[in-house]
Amino acid sequence: MSKYQTNISDVARVGRRGLLQASGGLVIAFSLFGANSATAASAASDTASTSVTPPPAGRLYAWLAVHPDNTVTLFTGKVETGTGVQTALAQFAAEELDFPIERLNVVMGTTSETVDQGPSYGSRTVRYAGPQIRHAAAAGRQALLDLAAAHFGVSANQLATNGGTISVIGAPDQTITYGKLVDGKRLNMEIGASGERFNMVVAPAVQTKDPSTYTVVGKSVPRKDIPGKMTGQFTYVQDVRVPGMLHGRVVRPYGVGSTLLSVDETGLKDIPGFVQVVRRDNFLGVVAETEWGAIQAAAKLGSTLNPSGPDAAPAKWSNWDGLPPMDQIWETVRHTAAGKNAAAANRGSVDMALGYASRTLKATYKTPFQMHGSIGPSCAIADVQGDRATFWSCTQMPHQTLRDMSKMLGMPLEKMELRWFEGAGAYGRNGFDHVVADAAVMSQAVGRPVRVQWMRWDEHGWEPKGPPIVQDLLGALDSNGQVIAWRHHMWIPTTSDTHLIAAALIGEPDVTGQTGLGQPAVVYKYNFPNADVACHGEGRVALLTAWLRSPAQFETTFAMESFIDELAAAAGQDPLAFRLAHVSDPRGIDVLRAAAQEYRWESRPATGKRPQANSKPAHGRGVAWVNRDDARVATIADVTVDPASGEIKVGRVVVAHDCGLVVNPDGLRNQVEGNVIQSLSRTLREEVTFDRAHVTSRDWQGYPILRFSEIPDRIDVVLVNNTPKYPSYGAGEPSTNPTAAAIGNAVFDAIGVRLRQTPFRPDRVKSAMS
Amino acid sequence: MIILTGEFAMPQSIALNINGSSQTVDVEPHSMLLYALRDNLGLHGPKFGCGLAECGACTVVLDGNAIRSCMTPVSAVGNSKIVTLEGLGTIENPHRLQKAFIEEQAAQCGYCINGMIMAASALLDQKPHPSRDDIKQALDGNLCRCGTHMRIVRAIERAAGQGA
Repeated sequence: MSKYQTNISDVARVGRRGLLQASGGLVIAFSLFGANSATAASAASDTASTSVTPPPAGRLYAWLAVHPDNTVTLFTGKVETGTGVQTALAQFAAEELDFPIERLNVVMGTTSETVDQGPSYGSRTVRYAGPQIRHAAAAGRQALLDLAAAHFGVSANQLATNGGTISVIGAPDQTITYGKLVDGKRLNMEIGASGERFNMVVAPAVQTKDPSTYTVVGKSVPRKDIPGKMTGQFTYVQDVRVPGMLHGRVVRPYGVGSTLLSVDETGLKDIPGFVQVVRRDNFLGVVAETEWGAIQAAAKLGSTLNPSGPDAAPAKWSNWDGLPPMDQIWETVRHTAAGKNAAAANRGSVDMALGYASRTLKATYKTPFQMHGSIGPSCAIADVQGDRATFWSCTQMPHQTLRDMSKMLGMPLEKMELRWFEGAGAYGRNGFDHVVADAAVMSQAVGRPVRVQWMRWDEHGWEPKGPPIVQDLLGALDSNGQVIAWRHHMWIPTTSDTHLIAAALIGEPDVTGQTGLGQPAVVYKYNFPNADVACHGEGRVALLTAWLRSPAQFETTFAMESFIDELAAAAGQDPLAFRLAHVSDPRGIDVLRAAAQEYRWESRPATGKRPQANSKPAHGRGVAWVNRDDARVATIADVTVDPASGEIKVGRVVVAHDCGLVVNPDGLRNQVEGNVIQSLSRTLREEVTFDRAHVTSRDWQGYPILRFSEIPDRIDVVLVNNTPKYPSYGAGEPSTNPTAAAIGNAVFDAIGVRLRQTPFRPDRVKSAMS
Repeated sequence: MIILTGEFAMPQSIALNINGSSQTVDVEPHSMLLYALRDNLGLHGPKFGCGLAECGACTVVLDGNAIRSCMTPVSAVGNSKIVTLEGLGTIENPHRLQKAFIEEQAAQCGYCINGMIMAASALLDQKPHPSRDDIKQALDGNLCRCGTHMRIVRAIERAAGQGA
């Protein structure tokens, strides 16, 4: 019998009254509702009197609180980033707890109230945190049954749970709500937990439901956060205000590597509300009583970058021009020797097979720096007071960010708390963690809480980017049009650089964070007899880079799935049939066939006929697929290309999506539609520009994203293999991946031009045609 | 990207007509309306997105027109009537646009949605039965990064269908 079951049987044996009186023992099933209550989640409560360390994962109260009004709070270290995981995780809990989801609230991320379940990234929340919460909630239901058994004086197997109540079977008058049963106490039962973060195992001994009996998981439950967001009643981190708070703004270096020479503070005092300049080595910021005062002061010091140069504004920076020329960025990436080679596939001998080829193709694919481009710039509040600190942040990794702050401030973790509030969508590691560090530096300097919000130019200029990638492909066909050799070599800078900007600016660049190395971000699923797929993984190249939705796999899928199409066209074959002939992955075949069926794909080779420049718009279709962390996605897109303007218009997009058992079908469709539109934007429009000193795309004109007039006519989503046979794999990003290749392949079908560099801007289309 | 006004005046008491009631804020006259709404009046509907009138997150309706509060000086507002997202409705009593956005689940992070609903509100007031192209055109200056466009368009069509 496990420890968990022993404890529950203690409950049954001793009864509720006895347990309430027990104290001092190792296991007390109840204690007074304590620091970890849902009500402690308010923005500005005093932390001095309460513990700020995370609750122990092995205790039920770390996951669940049952309140007297028969509502339930689920606590999770995971956070909502706009993908709907708050509701999905609530569905896991409501399902196992037999509790109405409308009465179940979710507290996310706050470090003093939640267990560290790992960052909310990599399409991993439902996949890893889902089972943890499923088990915690099942343990909760079992604990409630045992309490009810003691309450009614029957055995637990004579009881039934139903919608937040427990009844004695056959005696409907003997019914009690969870809320009455728990009576406002903390659920202190030991449920057992081992391992850490993604790999944490919670309540391993508990029996969970048979998925075929699910009534909440698998339903399109409306998202819990949406009504508040539609009415201005929702509190984003940008909306949080703390008593005594000042407003801060950063003044970033003129060049990425510039040093701060001098700051002329003349005139700053004339700005109403201005408090002080915060200068520490190369870190420069301003603090004011009002937001407008801080904005004005930062602008006066030169935060918008004076076009006359690094010494033209009152804050004078050294002249630094260490970035490579923008048009040579891919050569820079290719010739960055430092790094590590890693193979993703190695089969047979490509070089020997080339001797038998009837046709050999080579191509190089290039993709630029791209940015997350959150609509809400990074924002955080820090209150650093002597030996303790509190942060208000929308980071996707609250517990890790707090550890980073502990290192940067040299402060013990036990004295620090991060209160998590949702921000705007981030789609990876953007500035949301960095702004916490900025606020910490400024609050430490002024001794008051400081709210820092980046301005648009700070966000565009300094958020970590997705890296530029260059890829060489080589393929060989035999005389039957079969692929006999495939080589895919990629040069990928890091997508995991976690160094903090503020730490570097204050002269402690390595106090926390790692540079990381680019990884072979490709899941090679073709069965070519000779294959050589390898990556030269590099560290930081030119700009700070970190994970951006489906890190590097968006780019590698573009190259892989475009080049397959090149081979299919060279072989004169239908591009869908050509893929199916070279794939043996059953779920890959499933999504390709499902997409084709929904689209009503007719077998034919790509047309690939080049029109005259003044001819009428031409139509084309393209297909691509991906295997992303065990999800499979196939995308088919229709395009119309205007040869005169080079403009690509996307008509219908069909996505066949297999992420195993779907938790919330409408939430998933929302995600897939979002992935399609965002990746279309990255395919058609997005490229970070820079000169030798700094990023020059510092607003939305300099970094255009897709607008309403440019969206597809239709996005049709087909859910494949949505069955309890499979676990719920993540869905936050897989459907980003096939888009660029599907569009590029459709453009080839339409006008016979192969686009090997994103974004597919009209000028690039036109120059490719000429 | 010029936002520096170069002149710094002391805060003054300025009366604004917000969501049907008169409110007084103590701000610099040339400071932007967005900060008065958010910081002085505690409204959460209008958002800071760019400060450059490029994204629409800060949109409010001023005398029937959708405007960018991040680039509208408080001194320019005068007696105009301003409606924010809060002025349309609440969770308990939502405006038909808010109701339609909820029914269509037309949000992901939701940060841009203030601008979408406010721009749509001005559109429907001026053109109760817009075509899909009308909707796309009215919202073309509003950026959404999550890619919720399809649902946003559907929600506005739904609200328009329920109007008249």
